[in-house]
Amino acid sequence: MKGRSKLGRYSVATICCGVALAVAWPIDAPSSCFLLAVTVSSLFGGLGPGLFSIALSSLAFNYFFLRRTFPLATEPATYLRFAVFLAAALLITGLMELKRRVEESRNRAEEALRQASSDLARVSRVTTMGELTASVAHEVKQPIAASITNAKTCLRWLAADKPNLEEARAAARRIVEDQTRAAEIIKRIRELFKKGAPQREWVDVNEVIQEMVVLLRSEAAPYFISVRTELAADLPHVMGDRVQLQQVLMNLMMNSIDAMTDVNGTRELTINSQLGENEQLVVSVSDTGVGLPAQQADKIFDAFFTTKPHGTGMGLRISRSIVESHGGRLWAADNSSRGASFQFTLPTKLEVHE
Amino acid sequence: MIAPSLTERYVATMAIQTKEKLVAIVDDDELMRSALQGMLKSVGLPSQAFESAEEFLKSGQQQQTACLIADIRMPGMSGLELQAKLNAEHCRIPTIFITAHGDTKMRMQALRAGAVEFLAKPFDDEVLLESVRAALENWAQ
Repeated sequence: MKGRSKLGRYSVATICCGVALAVAWPIDAPSSCFLLAVTVSSLFGGLGPGLFSIALSSLAFNYFFLRRTFPLATEPATYLRFAVFLAAALLITGLMELKRRVEESRNRAEEALRQASSDLARVSRVTTMGELTASVAHEVKQPIAASITNAKTCLRWLAADKPNLEEARAAARRIVEDQTRAAEIIKRIRELFKKGAPQREWVDVNEVIQEMVVLLRSEAAPYFISVRTELAADLPHVMGDRVQLQQVLMNLMMNSIDAMTDVNGTRELTINSQLGENEQLVVSVSDTGVGLPAQQADKIFDAFFTTKPHGTGMGLRISRSIVESHGGRLWAADNSSRGASFQFTLPTKLEVHE
Repeated sequence: MIAPSLTERYVATMAIQTKEKLVAIVDDDELMRSALQGMLKSVGLPSQAFESAEEFLKSGQQQQTACLIADIRMPGMSGLELQAKLNAEHCRIPTIFITAHGDTKMRMQALRAGAVEFLAKPFDDEVLLESVRAALENWAQ
Protein backbone atom coordinates (compact mmCIF):
# COMPACT_ATOMS: atom_id res chain seq x y z
CA MET A 1 0.00 0.00 0.00
CA LYS A 2 2.85 2.33 0.84
CA GLY A 3 4.67 1.61 -2.38
CA ARG A 4 1.93 2.86 -4.63
CA SER A 5 1.51 6.57 -5.28
CA LYS A 6 -1.53 8.52 -4.17
CA LEU A 7 -2.53 9.11 -7.78
CA GLY A 8 -2.19 5.39 -8.51
CA ARG A 9 -4.46 4.45 -5.62
CA TYR A 10 -7.14 6.96 -6.66
CA SER A 11 -6.85 5.69 -10.24
CA VAL A 12 -7.49 2.13 -9.02
CA ALA A 13 -10.62 3.40 -7.22
CA THR A 14 -11.82 5.16 -10.38
CA ILE A 15 -11.17 2.09 -12.56
CA CYS A 16 -12.98 -0.16 -10.07
CA CYS A 17 -16.05 2.07 -10.18
CA GLY A 18 -15.90 2.18 -14.02
CA VAL A 19 -15.74 -1.59 -14.25
CA ALA A 20 -18.55 -1.91 -11.70
CA LEU A 21 -20.72 0.41 -13.76
CA ALA A 22 -19.97 -1.52 -16.95
CA VAL A 23 -20.87 -4.82 -15.32
CA ALA A 24 -23.87 -3.50 -13.39
CA TRP A 25 -25.53 -1.83 -16.40
CA PRO A 26 -26.50 -4.96 -18.38
CA ILE A 27 -27.44 -7.09 -15.34
CA ASP A 28 -29.06 -4.27 -13.38
CA ALA A 29 -27.32 -5.06 -10.10
CA PRO A 30 -25.79 -1.76 -9.06
CA SER A 31 -25.66 -2.40 -5.28
CA SER A 32 -23.53 -5.54 -5.42
CA CYS A 33 -21.21 -4.28 -8.14
CA PHE A 34 -20.54 -0.89 -6.59
CA LEU A 35 -20.09 -2.48 -3.14
CA LEU A 36 -17.47 -4.75 -4.69
CA ALA A 37 -15.77 -1.72 -6.21
CA VAL A 38 -15.76 0.12 -2.88
CA THR A 39 -14.39 -2.99 -1.11
CA VAL A 40 -11.53 -3.37 -3.60
CA SER A 41 -10.72 0.35 -3.49
CA SER A 42 -10.67 0.42 0.33
CA LEU A 43 -8.66 -2.77 0.55
CA PHE A 44 -5.92 -1.66 -1.82
CA GLY A 45 -6.17 2.11 -1.62
CA GLY A 46 -6.99 2.81 2.01
CA LEU A 47 -9.35 5.32 3.50
CA GLY A 48 -9.04 8.14 0.92
CA PRO A 49 -9.57 6.06 -2.23
CA GLY A 50 -12.31 4.13 -0.37
CA LEU A 51 -14.30 7.30 0.32
CA PHE A 52 -13.54 8.52 -3.20
CA SER A 53 -14.97 5.29 -4.63
CA ILE A 54 -18.08 5.70 -2.47
CA ALA A 55 -18.58 9.18 -3.89
CA LEU A 56 -18.11 7.97 -7.47
CA SER A 57 -20.37 4.97 -6.91
CA SER A 58 -23.07 7.15 -5.38
CA LEU A 59 -22.96 9.54 -8.32
CA ALA A 60 -23.10 6.67 -10.80
CA PHE A 61 -25.78 4.86 -8.85
CA ASN A 62 -27.85 8.01 -8.65
CA TYR A 63 -27.36 9.14 -12.23
CA PHE A 64 -27.45 5.88 -14.14
CA PHE A 65 -29.79 3.76 -12.09
CA LEU A 66 -32.08 5.88 -9.98
CA ARG A 67 -32.71 8.68 -12.53
CA ARG A 68 -32.32 6.85 -15.85
CA THR A 69 -33.99 3.56 -15.10
CA PHE A 70 -36.78 5.04 -13.06
CA PRO A 71 -37.00 8.62 -14.21
CA LEU A 72 -40.26 9.16 -12.50
CA ALA A 73 -39.67 6.89 -9.61
CA THR A 74 -41.35 8.10 -6.55
CA GLU A 75 -41.48 5.02 -4.41
CA PRO A 76 -39.38 5.46 -1.33
CA ALA A 77 -38.09 1.88 -1.76
CA THR A 78 -35.77 3.09 -4.52
CA TYR A 79 -34.18 5.68 -2.27
CA LEU A 80 -34.09 3.21 0.57
CA ARG A 81 -32.08 0.86 -1.68
CA PHE A 82 -29.66 3.71 -2.29
CA ALA A 83 -29.40 4.50 1.41
CA VAL A 84 -28.70 0.87 2.32
CA PHE A 85 -26.02 0.77 -0.37
CA LEU A 86 -24.42 3.93 1.00
CA ALA A 87 -24.42 2.62 4.58
CA ALA A 88 -22.89 -0.72 3.52
CA ALA A 89 -20.23 1.04 1.47
CA LEU A 90 -19.30 3.34 4.34
CA LEU A 91 -19.17 0.40 6.75
CA ILE A 92 -16.85 -1.54 4.45
CA THR A 93 -14.50 1.39 4.03
CA GLY A 94 -14.49 1.91 7.79
CA LEU A 95 -13.76 -1.76 8.47
CA MET A 96 -10.96 -1.84 5.92
CA GLU A 97 -9.38 1.22 7.49
CA LEU A 98 -9.66 -0.41 10.92
CA LYS A 99 -8.03 -3.60 9.62
CA ARG A 100 -5.20 -1.58 8.07
CA ARG A 101 -4.52 0.26 11.36
CA VAL A 102 -4.53 -2.97 13.37
CA GLU A 103 -2.06 -4.52 10.96
CA GLU A 104 0.16 -1.48 11.08
CA SER A 105 0.31 -1.43 14.87
CA ARG A 106 0.96 -5.17 14.94
CA ASN A 107 3.88 -4.73 12.58
CA ARG A 108 5.23 -1.95 14.75
CA ALA A 109 4.86 -4.15 17.85
CA GLU A 110 6.64 -7.03 16.17
CA GLU A 111 9.47 -4.79 15.10
CA ALA A 112 9.77 -3.43 18.64
CA LEU A 113 9.78 -6.96 20.04
CA ARG A 114 12.56 -8.01 17.69
CA GLN A 115 14.57 -4.98 18.72
CA ALA A 116 13.88 -5.61 22.41
CA SER A 117 14.95 -9.23 22.34
CA SER A 118 18.18 -8.41 20.57
CA ASP A 119 18.84 -5.64 23.11
CA LEU A 120 18.03 -8.06 25.89
CA ALA A 121 20.49 -10.60 24.59
CA ARG A 122 23.20 -8.00 24.93
CA VAL A 123 21.97 -6.72 28.27
CA SER A 124 21.88 -10.25 29.64
CA ARG A 125 25.50 -10.72 28.63
CA VAL A 126 26.52 -7.41 30.15
CA THR A 127 24.55 -8.10 33.35
CA THR A 128 26.27 -11.42 33.81
CA MET A 129 29.53 -9.57 33.27
CA GLY A 130 28.50 -7.03 35.88
CA GLU A 131 27.92 -9.81 38.36
CA LEU A 132 31.30 -11.17 37.44
CA THR A 133 33.20 -7.93 37.92
CA ALA A 134 33.61 -8.47 41.65
CA SER A 135 35.03 -11.93 41.21
CA VAL A 136 37.23 -10.78 38.36
CA ALA A 137 38.65 -8.10 40.64
CA HIS A 138 39.41 -10.79 43.18
CA GLU A 139 40.88 -13.05 40.54
CA VAL A 140 43.29 -10.30 39.46
CA LYS A 141 44.06 -9.29 43.03
CA GLN A 142 45.31 -12.78 43.78
CA PRO A 143 48.33 -12.84 41.40
CA ILE A 144 49.05 -9.19 42.17
CA ALA A 145 49.27 -9.93 45.89
CA ALA A 146 51.49 -12.91 45.15
CA SER A 147 53.78 -10.86 42.93
CA ILE A 148 54.18 -8.10 45.53
CA THR A 149 55.20 -10.70 48.08
CA ASN A 150 57.59 -12.30 45.62
CA ALA A 151 59.13 -8.94 44.71
CA LYS A 152 59.78 -8.15 48.35
CA THR A 153 61.22 -11.62 48.86
CA CYS A 154 63.50 -11.04 45.90
CA LEU A 155 64.69 -7.73 47.39
CA ARG A 156 65.27 -9.41 50.72
CA TRP A 157 67.56 -12.01 49.14
CA LEU A 158 69.44 -9.29 47.29
CA ALA A 159 69.77 -7.08 50.36
CA ALA A 160 71.60 -9.74 52.34
CA ASP A 161 75.27 -9.17 53.17
CA LYS A 162 76.04 -11.82 50.63
CA PRO A 163 73.11 -11.70 48.20
CA ASN A 164 71.64 -15.06 47.30
CA LEU A 165 71.20 -14.74 43.55
CA GLU A 166 69.73 -18.18 43.05
CA GLU A 167 66.88 -17.50 45.45
CA ALA A 168 66.40 -13.99 44.11
CA ARG A 169 66.16 -15.43 40.60
CA ALA A 170 63.57 -17.98 41.75
CA ALA A 171 61.49 -15.19 43.31
CA ALA A 172 61.77 -13.12 40.12
CA ARG A 173 60.60 -16.11 38.09
CA ARG A 174 57.57 -16.37 40.35
CA ILE A 175 56.81 -12.69 39.70
CA VAL A 176 56.82 -13.37 35.97
CA GLU A 177 54.42 -16.25 36.52
CA ASP A 178 52.11 -14.13 38.69
CA GLN A 179 52.01 -11.26 36.25
CA THR A 180 51.49 -13.59 33.31
CA ARG A 181 48.41 -14.90 35.01
CA ALA A 182 47.12 -11.41 35.81
CA ALA A 183 47.62 -10.42 32.17
CA GLU A 184 45.86 -13.59 30.99
CA ILE A 185 42.85 -12.85 33.14
CA ILE A 186 42.61 -9.31 31.82
CA LYS A 187 42.97 -10.56 28.25
CA ARG A 188 40.09 -12.98 28.74
CA ILE A 189 37.87 -10.28 30.19
CA ARG A 190 38.55 -8.07 27.21
CA GLU A 191 37.59 -10.91 24.91
CA LEU A 192 34.35 -11.43 26.77
CA PHE A 193 33.42 -7.78 26.40
CA LYS A 194 34.31 -7.61 22.73
CA LYS A 195 31.35 -6.84 20.58
CA GLY A 196 30.97 -7.47 16.93
CA ALA A 197 30.48 -10.03 14.22
CA PRO A 198 31.10 -13.65 15.19
CA GLN A 199 34.64 -14.68 14.49
CA ARG A 200 35.05 -18.22 13.27
CA GLU A 201 38.31 -19.94 14.02
CA TRP A 202 39.57 -23.32 15.14
CA VAL A 203 38.88 -23.48 18.87
CA ASP A 204 40.24 -25.88 21.46
CA VAL A 205 37.12 -26.41 23.57
CA ASN A 206 39.11 -27.84 26.49
CA GLU A 207 41.09 -24.61 26.60
CA VAL A 208 37.86 -22.57 26.66
CA ILE A 209 36.53 -24.76 29.50
CA GLN A 210 39.70 -24.24 31.51
CA GLU A 211 39.60 -20.49 30.95
CA MET A 212 36.04 -20.30 32.21
CA VAL A 213 36.90 -22.45 35.20
CA VAL A 214 39.64 -19.98 36.14
CA LEU A 215 37.28 -17.05 35.67
CA LEU A 216 34.42 -18.57 37.63
CA ARG A 217 36.45 -20.21 40.37
CA SER A 218 36.07 -17.28 42.70
CA GLU A 219 32.37 -17.11 41.87
CA ALA A 220 32.12 -20.68 43.20
CA ALA A 221 34.55 -20.41 46.10
CA PRO A 222 32.39 -18.23 48.41
CA TYR A 223 29.75 -20.96 48.36
CA PHE A 224 32.31 -23.71 48.89
CA ILE A 225 31.55 -25.24 45.54
CA SER A 226 34.32 -27.39 44.16
CA VAL A 227 34.82 -27.21 40.42
CA ARG A 228 36.00 -30.38 38.70
CA THR A 229 36.93 -30.95 35.09
CA GLU A 230 37.06 -34.27 33.28
CA LEU A 231 38.52 -33.34 29.92
CA ALA A 232 39.31 -35.95 27.31
CA ALA A 233 42.80 -35.53 25.90
CA ASP A 234 43.52 -34.90 22.22
CA LEU A 235 40.05 -33.72 21.31
CA PRO A 236 39.74 -32.34 17.79
CA HIS A 237 39.21 -28.60 17.57
CA VAL A 238 35.90 -27.12 16.50
CA MET A 239 35.27 -24.31 14.05
CA GLY A 240 33.51 -21.64 16.01
CA ASP A 241 33.36 -18.31 17.75
CA ARG A 242 35.52 -18.53 20.83
CA VAL A 243 33.74 -15.73 22.68
CA GLN A 244 30.30 -17.19 22.01
CA LEU A 245 31.44 -20.60 23.25
CA GLN A 246 32.81 -18.93 26.38
CA GLN A 247 29.41 -17.33 26.80
CA VAL A 248 27.61 -20.68 26.58
CA LEU A 249 29.93 -22.21 29.16
CA MET A 250 29.64 -19.18 31.40
CA ASN A 251 25.84 -19.31 31.26
CA LEU A 252 25.70 -23.01 32.07
CA MET A 253 28.30 -22.76 34.84
CA MET A 254 26.68 -19.68 36.40
CA ASN A 255 23.32 -21.50 36.37
CA SER A 256 24.94 -24.44 38.13
CA ILE A 257 26.58 -22.22 40.73
CA ASP A 258 23.29 -20.39 41.35
CA ALA A 259 21.54 -23.74 41.77
CA MET A 260 23.94 -24.84 44.49
CA THR A 261 24.24 -21.79 46.72
CA ASP A 262 21.48 -22.98 49.04
CA VAL A 263 21.80 -26.77 49.00
CA ASN A 264 23.16 -28.79 51.88
CA GLY A 265 25.71 -31.49 51.27
CA THR A 266 28.08 -31.85 48.36
CA ARG A 267 28.37 -28.86 46.10
CA GLU A 268 30.15 -29.96 43.02
CA LEU A 269 30.30 -28.50 39.55
CA THR A 270 31.67 -30.90 36.96
CA ILE A 271 32.55 -30.05 33.40
CA ASN A 272 33.18 -33.02 31.18
CA SER A 273 34.33 -33.13 27.57
CA GLN A 274 34.54 -36.16 25.32
CA LEU A 275 34.25 -37.32 21.76
CA GLY A 276 30.79 -38.65 20.94
CA GLU A 277 29.13 -40.18 17.91
CA ASN A 278 29.85 -38.91 14.40
CA GLU A 279 32.98 -37.20 15.68
CA GLN A 280 30.85 -34.75 17.61
CA LEU A 281 32.30 -33.16 20.68
CA VAL A 282 30.10 -33.61 23.73
CA VAL A 283 30.45 -31.19 26.65
CA SER A 284 28.41 -31.61 29.80
CA VAL A 285 28.03 -29.25 32.74
CA SER A 286 26.61 -31.00 35.81
CA ASP A 287 25.89 -29.81 39.33
CA THR A 288 24.55 -31.12 42.60
CA GLY A 289 22.12 -28.24 42.99
CA VAL A 290 18.35 -27.96 43.34
CA GLY A 291 17.74 -29.54 39.94
CA LEU A 292 15.32 -28.50 37.24
CA PRO A 293 11.79 -27.41 38.06
CA ALA A 294 9.49 -30.42 37.83
CA GLN A 295 7.06 -30.46 34.89
CA GLN A 296 8.74 -27.40 33.51
CA ALA A 297 11.82 -29.01 32.09
CA ASP A 298 10.66 -28.24 28.56
CA LYS A 299 10.12 -24.58 29.38
CA ILE A 300 13.61 -23.79 30.54
CA PHE A 301 14.73 -22.99 27.02
CA ASP A 302 11.86 -20.55 26.45
CA ALA A 303 12.67 -16.87 26.35
CA PHE A 304 11.94 -15.06 29.64
CA PHE A 305 11.48 -18.32 31.57
CA THR A 306 13.48 -18.10 34.77
CA THR A 307 13.54 -19.66 38.21
CA LYS A 308 15.90 -17.05 39.61
CA PRO A 309 14.65 -13.92 41.38
CA HIS A 310 16.74 -11.68 39.15
CA GLY A 311 17.12 -13.87 36.09
CA THR A 312 16.39 -12.52 32.63
CA GLY A 313 15.24 -15.88 31.34
CA MET A 314 17.47 -15.43 28.31
CA GLY A 315 20.61 -17.38 29.28
CA LEU A 316 19.62 -20.85 28.13
CA ARG A 317 17.72 -19.47 25.18
CA ILE A 318 20.78 -17.58 23.95
CA SER A 319 23.09 -20.50 24.74
CA ARG A 320 20.93 -22.84 22.69
CA SER A 321 20.87 -20.51 19.70
CA ILE A 322 24.65 -20.12 19.89
CA VAL A 323 25.19 -23.89 19.98
CA GLU A 324 22.75 -24.37 17.13
CA SER A 325 24.49 -21.71 15.06
CA HIS A 326 27.59 -23.86 15.47
CA GLY A 327 25.73 -26.88 14.09
CA GLY A 328 25.33 -28.51 17.50
CA ARG A 329 22.56 -29.21 19.97
CA LEU A 330 22.02 -28.17 23.61
CA TRP A 331 19.68 -30.02 25.94
CA ALA A 332 19.01 -30.80 29.59
CA ALA A 333 20.18 -34.34 30.30
CA ASP A 334 18.90 -36.67 32.98
CA ASN A 335 20.93 -36.51 36.10
CA SER A 336 20.75 -39.84 37.85
CA SER A 337 21.39 -38.74 41.43
CA ARG A 338 20.51 -35.09 41.90
CA GLY A 339 21.09 -31.65 40.51
CA ALA A 340 20.97 -30.76 36.85
CA SER A 341 23.06 -31.65 33.89
CA PHE A 342 23.25 -29.87 30.57
CA GLN A 343 24.93 -31.24 27.50
CA PHE A 344 25.80 -29.78 24.18
CA THR A 345 27.43 -31.11 21.06
CA LEU A 346 29.64 -29.37 18.57
CA PRO A 347 30.63 -30.86 15.22
CA THR A 348 34.38 -31.19 14.77
CA LYS A 349 34.24 -31.51 11.01
CA LEU A 350 33.02 -28.86 8.65
CA GLU A 351 29.69 -30.17 7.47
CA VAL A 352 28.89 -29.86 3.80
CA HIS A 353 25.24 -28.98 3.60
CA GLU A 354 23.50 -30.31 0.57
CA MET B 1 72.55 -18.98 52.58
CA ILE B 2 73.25 -15.84 54.55
CA ALA B 3 70.35 -13.70 55.58
CA PRO B 4 70.66 -10.16 57.00
CA SER B 5 72.20 -10.12 60.43
CA LEU B 6 69.02 -9.21 62.23
CA THR B 7 67.11 -12.03 60.61
CA GLU B 8 70.02 -14.35 61.23
CA ARG B 9 69.97 -13.69 64.95
CA TYR B 10 66.23 -14.09 64.93
CA VAL B 11 66.39 -17.38 63.04
CA ALA B 12 69.03 -18.68 65.39
CA THR B 13 66.88 -18.01 68.45
CA MET B 14 63.79 -19.31 66.73
CA ALA B 15 65.54 -22.48 65.70
CA ILE B 16 66.32 -23.22 69.31
CA GLN B 17 62.90 -22.28 70.53
CA THR B 18 60.83 -23.99 67.87
CA LYS B 19 62.99 -27.02 67.06
CA GLU B 20 61.00 -28.87 64.38
CA LYS B 21 58.11 -26.46 64.43
CA LEU B 22 56.70 -25.40 61.12
CA VAL B 23 54.73 -22.57 59.64
CA ALA B 24 51.84 -24.09 57.73
CA ILE B 25 50.26 -22.37 54.73
CA VAL B 26 46.76 -23.33 53.61
CA ASP B 27 45.65 -21.67 50.39
CA ASP B 28 43.92 -23.05 47.32
CA ASP B 29 45.85 -20.72 45.03
CA GLU B 30 49.15 -22.14 43.88
CA LEU B 31 50.79 -18.78 43.16
CA MET B 32 49.89 -17.56 46.63
CA ARG B 33 51.29 -20.69 48.24
CA SER B 34 54.64 -20.43 46.51
CA ALA B 35 54.87 -16.68 47.18
CA LEU B 36 54.28 -17.23 50.91
CA GLN B 37 56.71 -20.15 51.06
CA GLY B 38 59.34 -18.09 49.27
CA MET B 39 58.82 -15.20 51.66
CA LEU B 40 59.20 -17.40 54.74
CA LYS B 41 62.26 -19.06 53.27
CA SER B 42 63.90 -15.68 52.76
CA VAL B 43 63.68 -15.00 56.50
CA GLY B 44 64.83 -18.51 57.29
CA LEU B 45 61.53 -19.98 58.42
CA PRO B 46 60.69 -23.52 57.40
CA SER B 47 57.19 -23.88 56.02
CA GLN B 48 54.91 -26.37 54.45
CA ALA B 49 52.05 -25.57 52.07
CA PHE B 50 48.70 -27.29 51.76
CA GLU B 51 46.13 -26.96 48.99
CA SER B 52 43.13 -27.29 51.26
CA ALA B 53 42.06 -27.37 54.89
CA GLU B 54 41.26 -31.06 54.50
CA GLU B 55 44.75 -31.81 53.26
CA PHE B 56 46.24 -30.00 56.24
CA LEU B 57 44.05 -31.93 58.70
CA LYS B 58 44.93 -35.23 57.01
CA SER B 59 48.67 -34.51 57.09
CA GLY B 60 48.88 -34.98 60.86
CA GLN B 61 51.20 -31.97 61.01
CA GLN B 62 48.99 -29.97 63.40
CA GLN B 63 51.18 -30.73 66.39
CA GLN B 64 54.33 -29.47 64.67
CA THR B 65 52.61 -26.36 63.39
CA ALA B 66 53.65 -23.29 65.35
CA CYS B 67 51.82 -20.85 63.12
CA LEU B 68 49.13 -21.23 60.49
CA ILE B 69 48.66 -18.86 57.56
CA ALA B 70 45.30 -19.59 55.96
CA ASP B 71 43.07 -18.27 53.21
CA ILE B 72 39.40 -17.94 54.17
CA ARG B 73 37.45 -18.72 51.04
CA MET B 74 38.48 -22.05 49.63
CA PRO B 75 36.57 -24.82 47.93
CA GLY B 76 35.66 -27.43 50.52
CA MET B 77 36.36 -26.43 54.09
CA SER B 78 36.82 -22.69 54.63
CA GLY B 79 39.58 -21.14 56.70
CA LEU B 80 37.11 -20.24 59.45
CA GLU B 81 35.78 -23.80 59.56
CA LEU B 82 39.32 -25.09 59.80
CA GLN B 83 39.93 -22.76 62.74
CA ALA B 84 36.75 -23.96 64.46
CA LYS B 85 37.71 -27.57 63.92
CA LEU B 86 41.21 -27.04 65.34
CA ASN B 87 39.70 -25.23 68.32
CA ALA B 88 37.29 -28.12 68.88
CA GLU B 89 40.23 -30.51 68.90
CA HIS B 90 41.98 -28.25 71.45
CA CYS B 91 44.69 -27.70 68.92
CA ARG B 92 45.17 -23.97 69.29
CA ILE B 93 47.52 -22.95 66.52
CA PRO B 94 48.12 -19.18 66.25
CA THR B 95 46.37 -18.42 62.97
CA ILE B 96 46.85 -15.57 60.52
CA PHE B 97 44.12 -15.15 57.92
CA ILE B 98 44.76 -13.65 54.54
CA THR B 99 41.75 -12.97 52.38
CA ALA B 100 40.65 -10.95 49.42
CA HIS B 101 37.00 -10.90 50.49
CA GLY B 102 37.47 -9.89 54.10
CA ASP B 103 34.65 -7.91 55.64
CA THR B 104 34.37 -6.59 59.18
CA LYS B 105 31.99 -9.31 60.27
CA MET B 106 34.29 -12.06 59.08
CA ARG B 107 37.25 -10.32 60.66
CA MET B 108 35.49 -10.11 64.02
CA GLN B 109 34.48 -13.76 63.82
CA ALA B 110 38.05 -14.82 63.09
CA LEU B 111 39.58 -12.68 65.83
CA ARG B 112 37.00 -13.80 68.39
CA ALA B 113 37.84 -17.41 67.58
CA GLY B 114 41.46 -16.62 68.40
CA ALA B 115 43.05 -15.54 65.15
CA VAL B 116 46.19 -13.47 65.72
CA GLU B 117 45.87 -11.41 62.56
CA PHE B 118 43.46 -10.82 59.71
CA LEU B 119 45.03 -9.37 56.57
CA ALA B 120 43.46 -8.23 53.31
CA LYS B 121 45.08 -9.02 49.98
CA PRO B 122 47.30 -7.51 48.77
CA PHE B 123 48.95 -7.40 52.18
CA ASP B 124 52.12 -5.85 53.53
CA ASP B 125 54.57 -8.73 53.96
CA GLU B 126 56.36 -6.94 56.83
CA VAL B 127 53.11 -6.91 58.78
CA LEU B 128 52.60 -10.56 58.00
CA LEU B 129 56.15 -11.47 59.05
CA GLU B 130 55.75 -9.49 62.26
CA SER B 131 52.63 -11.51 63.05
CA VAL B 132 54.36 -14.78 62.24
CA ARG B 133 57.23 -13.84 64.55
CA ALA B 134 54.87 -12.80 67.31
CA ALA B 135 52.95 -16.05 66.94
CA LEU B 136 56.11 -18.12 67.09
CA GLU B 137 57.37 -16.26 70.15
CA ASN B 138 54.07 -16.63 71.96
CA TRP B 139 53.99 -20.25 71.11
CA ALA B 140 57.49 -20.83 72.37
CA GLN B 141 56.69 -19.37 75.78
